[in-house]
Amino acid sequence: MSSSLIPPESLARVGEILAGPVTVRIDRRESQRYAYAVGDLNPIYFDDESAKEAGYRTLTTPPLFITHALVTPKPASTLRADGLYEDSTSVVLEVARMMFGGEEWDFLEPVCVGDEITGTTRLLDLDQKEGKKGPFVRLVRETTFTNQDEQVVARSRQIGIAR
Amino acid sequence: MSEYPDIATIEAGDELPVMHKRAGEAELFLYSAASFNPHRIHYDKAYANYEGHQDIVVHGPLQGSWLTQFITDWAGPRARLLSVEWQNRASAFVDEELSFSGSVISVDKVNGSVELEIYERKQDGSVLMPAKATVKLGPS
Repeated sequence: MSSSLIPPESLARVGEILAGPVTVRIDRRESQRYAYAVGDLNPIYFDDESAKEAGYRTLTTPPLFITHALVTPKPASTLRADGLYEDSTSVVLEVARMMFGGEEWDFLEPVCVGDEITGTTRLLDLDQKEGKKGPFVRLVRETTFTNQDEQVVARSRQIGIAR
Repeated sequence: MSEYPDIATIEAGDELPVMHKRAGEAELFLYSAASFNPHRIHYDKAYANYEGHQDIVVHGPLQGSWLTQFITDWAGPRARLLSVEWQNRASAFVDEELSFSGSVISVDKVNGSVELEIYERKQDGSVLMPAKATVKLGPS
C-alpha cells in the first residue's frame, strides 16, 4: 500500500470550478492562424462559400481551436522557469510531474466565427491508481463550452497523469 | 458521385488513407504562438533535455488537431465530427516522421454515423496515440 499522492484538501476540490466562466468571440484571424499552424487548410475554415456549402452559417473553426481561443493572456512577469504561467488554480498533488494523458471530446453544435463562446472548467475526477511504474494520479478536467444562445456546443475532458 | 465516404456503401474494415506529419522547429514555434503556449519544452532543446526529454517535444494538442484533420479530410466538409478521444502514450519529438492510420470499426446506417479506430505512430511503428472517433457522414 503506497502513501497517498492526493492531499485531502485537493480531493475536496472534486466538482469545483477551476477556471472560468470565460467568454470570447471566435475571431476569424485567430482561428485561421491556428489552422495554418496545424497545417489543416480545410476550405470550411478559410472560404465563406465553402463553409456555407458544407452547411455552416459562416466560417467554422478547427474542432479543438475553442480551447485555445479561451486562453486568457497573462503578463510575461508571471512565467515560471519552465515557461508556463503561474497558476493559482492548479490542483496540489504530492508528485514530481504532470503529463498530458489524452482528451475526450463531444461536439454537439457547430462553432462558427463570430460566435460568443463561454468555457467553464471543473475538476471532474481525481483518482490514485497503481501502475507498473508505481502509483500515479489520474486527474480529469472537464470544460463545458456554450454559445451565445446558451446551447452547449462541446465538452472536453482533459486527462492528466501525475506521478 | 462524391469523393467522400458514403453511408450506403461504407463497411466495417474500410481503411482511411494514411496521413503523414512532421513538425520542424518553425512549425512547433508557430503552434506555440497560435495556441498562446509558452511552455519551454516546445522550443528550448536544453530545457527539454533538462526535463528528461530527448529533444524538443511536439505539443499534445497539436497531435490532437492533426487527428481531427485526419478524420475531417477523409470524411469531407459535409460530415460532422461527433466525438473523438485519444490517449497520449509517449512523446513525439521535433522532425520525427509521424503517421496517422485508421479504419472503420462499425457503421450505424440508421443515424448515418461511423465509428473509427485510429493510431498515430512513429516511424518504427510504435504507437504514440491510440484514438477513437464517431463521425456522422455527409449526405451523398
